[in-house]
Amino acid sequence: MSALSAVVYREARIRATNVTFIFWDLLYPLLYMLVFGVGVNAALGAPAGLPGVDYNEFFLAGVLAMASFAIASNTSWSFFLDRDNGIFYEMLTYPLSRSEYLLGKVIFNVLVSIVQAVLTLVVGRWLLGVRVQWRSLPELLVGMALGTAGWFFFYAIFALSTRRNDVFNAVTSVFYFFFLFASSMFYPLDPLPVWFRRVALANPITWQIDWLRHFSIGTGGVRPVLWEGAAFFVFAVLSFLYAVRCLQRQE
Amino acid sequence: MTEYALEVDRLVKTYASRGKPQVRAIDGLTFSVPRGIIFGLLGPNGAGKSTLLRVLTTLTRPTGGSARVMNFDVLKKPIEVRRRISSVIQETAAELLLSVRDNFLTYARFQGLETSAAKSRADGLIDEFQLTGEVEKKVQDLSGGFRRRVQVAKAFLVDTPVLFLDEFSTGMDPILKRQMMHRLRAEAEKGRTIILTTQILSEAEELCDDILIINKGRQVARGDLSTLKLLSQGVYEIEMTFDRMPETMAADLAKLQPIRSSMDGNSIEVAVKLKEGNVMDVVTNLSRDRRVLHVEVRGATLEDIFVELTAPSGARGEENREAS
Repeated sequence: MSALSAVVYREARIRATNVTFIFWDLLYPLLYMLVFGVGVNAALGAPAGLPGVDYNEFFLAGVLAMASFAIASNTSWSFFLDRDNGIFYEMLTYPLSRSEYLLGKVIFNVLVSIVQAVLTLVVGRWLLGVRVQWRSLPELLVGMALGTAGWFFFYAIFALSTRRNDVFNAVTSVFYFFFLFASSMFYPLDPLPVWFRRVALANPITWQIDWLRHFSIGTGGVRPVLWEGAAFFVFAVLSFLYAVRCLQRQE
Repeated sequence: MTEYALEVDRLVKTYASRGKPQVRAIDGLTFSVPRGIIFGLLGPNGAGKSTLLRVLTTLTRPTGGSARVMNFDVLKKPIEVRRRISSVIQETAAELLLSVRDNFLTYARFQGLETSAAKSRADGLIDEFQLTGEVEKKVQDLSGGFRRRVQVAKAFLVDTPVLFLDEFSTGMDPILKRQMMHRLRAEAEKGRTIILTTQILSEAEELCDDILIINKGRQVARGDLSTLKLLSQGVYEIEMTFDRMPETMAADLAKLQPIRSSMDGNSIEVAVKLKEGNVMDVVTNLSRDRRVLHVEVRGATLEDIFVELTAPSGARGEENREAS
């Protein structure tokens, strides 16, 4: 437990003593919703096939998933910073296991994503009038926590498998393009071509978004959302196990 | 419980990369290190020193054989090994985004030190390593020398029984280096085992109770300084200063086939292997028709032994040519 808390403490000190990090971490989804969401809401209004839901409400789950995706990618990038200044290898000689190291890194970022989500919900309600099912807040926050962890482990596999940050940056750009756009983040899937729907339904971020959307504004049935949640859980566990393996191979 | 801090038995580490022949970075090393001594690990670049340290600090998995630190196997009980070691690796490893104080406190947390003890020890080290003026600065804003101080000072924050230091004096000014050497001696006297690698052989000569010289992953020599000097019996170091450097000196030195030689201003320094009775003949020959201001003849230094034991055949001549 003390090893885990030490990693969490380290992450917290790095973020808390760097104002730009903490500002961006907490306000990123909110700013995205205010700038992008308000624009689209004004231009296009309600998304097709979802009566009574405006675009800001629809986009809320997308923006939260995007936030956990971004936290995960940024945290994985820190492996390169740590490796470049040597502290990464020194830390691997500290009394903690490789899995404790990864879990400790993610625990702090899960906490950040939860604070970020609550802030977005509260300010979204206050400034944009976004209607949220507050009774489902715990499930929504579980979706944020699991989402952030799953994406971090997934990204960590690539960050730990390559030594070159230009390669990792290229991978990140492809992931941003593919995962975010081939999903239900920006648009409902029903009106889209069948091939696109199939790709989006195989995309883990769609599973996370559908969960968040169901527990924020009540769209989608309970059973499919639970299946998607279970699939995301399996994705996160497999990513974790593979990331630990990659960390054990650091030489 | 064994009296050894390290026990290495037929250790092998190979690296394989696609399309290239396999490299045996460590090739069947066997040695043990008693507790409470300063142990020097020497060897030329690529000898396998850093790989060996990486295996002993659990960073790299050995390919064969075994290594135990404080009686715990590095492969089977890595966490138990990590609980008993501190390491200062070659790069200037520090938390760049944290202040000097936070670097100490974060490290103390990882090592399981109580907060109050960590704070008081950190204050002591900040004072000892002359970091008082930098304590609230982020490490990324410090010069390379101060970063190195932060990194090395952390190793003294905790009392782990084994301390690994890879090229510890790199980037240190002479005063701090001297202070560090006293500190290391004091730590060993308290019972800590210190394993260090260095390229500065005078440091090893001054500090180490026991030395292992390796080359190409294999043991070349092992023992304390006097034992190693026996391996190099007949090696003498001659230092001479002339009123002006004779023109033929480079050729004269080359004829001696020295282990190493150098010419600096009006002075020469040469290490040669000779029969005992011939030393004065060499001095006489070098002095012939020249005005000599200073002569000194010494036994072999660790550097002479090192060069003699590790230089590939033919390399001595090259080195001499370069030096002349």
